[in-house]
Amino acid sequence: MIQLNGLTKRYGETVAVDHLTFTVQPGLVTGFLGPNGAGKSTTMRMIMGLDLPTSGTVTITGRRYHELRHPLRTIGAMLDARAVHPRRSAYKHLLYLAQSNGIPESRVGEVLELVGLADAADRPAGGFSLGMGQRLGIAAAMLGDPPVLLLDEPINGLDPEGVLWARNLMRGWGAEGRTVLVSSHLMSEMALTADRLVVIGRGRLLAEGDIADFTARGSVVVVRTPDAGHFARRLALAGAFVEPGETGELLVKGMSPPDVGRLAAAENVTLYELSIREPSLEEAFMELTRDAVEWGAAR
Amino acid sequence: MIDAGALKAEWTKFSSLRATMALSVAAVLVSGLFGWMFSNAAAAEYATLTPQERLGFNPVELGMRGIFLVQVLLAGLGALIVSTEYGSGTITASMAAVGRRGRLLAAKAGMTVLSALPVSVASIVLMFTVSQSTLAAGGAPAATPGDTTAIQLLLGGPIVLTLISLFGLTLGVLLRSTAAAVNFSVVFLLLPILSGVMPGFLQVVVRFFWPNAAPFQAMYGAENVPDLLGYGLIVAFVVVMLAAAYVRFTRKDA
Repeated sequence: MIQLNGLTKRYGETVAVDHLTFTVQPGLVTGFLGPNGAGKSTTMRMIMGLDLPTSGTVTITGRRYHELRHPLRTIGAMLDARAVHPRRSAYKHLLYLAQSNGIPESRVGEVLELVGLADAADRPAGGFSLGMGQRLGIAAAMLGDPPVLLLDEPINGLDPEGVLWARNLMRGWGAEGRTVLVSSHLMSEMALTADRLVVIGRGRLLAEGDIADFTARGSVVVVRTPDAGHFARRLALAGAFVEPGETGELLVKGMSPPDVGRLAAAENVTLYELSIREPSLEEAFMELTRDAVEWGAAR
Repeated sequence: MIDAGALKAEWTKFSSLRATMALSVAAVLVSGLFGWMFSNAAAAEYATLTPQERLGFNPVELGMRGIFLVQVLLAGLGALIVSTEYGSGTITASMAAVGRRGRLLAAKAGMTVLSALPVSVASIVLMFTVSQSTLAAGGAPAATPGDTTAIQLLLGGPIVLTLISLFGLTLGVLLRSTAAAVNFSVVFLLLPILSGVMPGFLQVVVRFFWPNAAPFQAMYGAENVPDLLGYGLIVAFVVVMLAAAYVRFTRKDA
């Protein structure tokens, strides 16, 4: 479990992270979403004890980072996959991390095998492709078999097969009861990977909840009828909010499909279609972060 | 005090990069070379001296002049132990792995001593042996390992060079860059050589009482600086630098 409490980071006048409070629960994959520059990486660096908070606290399984005796056995992270010395082999890179946490050397071979880098173990990491670098970063995170995992944009640079592999890996960790926090700026990816979402923009918490909550929030009832004009007025009188759709259908908010159906029956209106349209997670995300995009294109 | 696992990790980092290993070997080889060059020149000069001038001939000081250049390599070695981590970005992985930063800095200081001390011993012994035998072969007076001055040099020299390597480490921490740390250390450590062009008072300070000049004076058995002051100056200086590095390392963002 990771708990953030009023976590704040200022750089001079700029507030990168603004009183963030949320809890990352074990047994789930939590997606950490926000547009570029929202403060995701700074938050993750504060969780890892790399950047010091201006105020607020963050604890991992109840303890602050610097209180962990062998941190890699509690929390494994991939923050920047390129942070490997280009002339050092993948094996030696993992070996020194293992040694610093009293992890047996045999584990190094194990994680290299797990991420599919066993054959590249002795090659200098500088020659790795972006995808191989990501795999090495994931291997480093797994080294201490930690109950908490933190990954910053792990999908970047992976080929489609790698994306699928990483997704299954993360879902597997969640199923094993681990705490998994994954940042991404791609809502569509999180829709497939995460159970819960934490959305931030300009350093502030915008929304937090189960994936289903996000899509349900903006759902619309679609009604298609030959008496569109008449029925629209009846719906509005009954308290619903109605908009015309692009192909003559009615988009109804604020009324459930059963109530729309009952009203149609009472009014003797023929319905060709009565359905629910859930917005894509992408749309929900855009809606949430519209005001928080720091470098948005002019609208 | 120093965490065994963290120190082991430092050794793996040190030994898995060619730059740090090559620099260690280079320091020893360069010591032998400079020992021969400076003593060869000194022996030739000795032949031309008057009997009066010959009384002031200090074979240890003249033969060991190359120390001024070897110290720069050792400072670079110390700097590399941390600056390669800033250069490649692995410092974040190392800090995250060790957790408490003081522990990581202690391990790095430990690694600096463990690498610099053997290199310093080898460098000083080789330079001493080569220079004194070259002087003797050239018909000039030479020190033997049993002389008081020679004992001072052989015992004190490696410690002073190791302290200078720790100074290099602190520069790496404070400047977070190999180039900046090496440039700064070169200027700082070679300043005593350039003291000749400085005005009177400053010249005395830099030539005899600069943090590295003072212990060298003591090492050579020169009369200008009391031994205790010479060694005390470099120890105090490195302690202050380590304290500054500790504050920067532990209180600032990675």
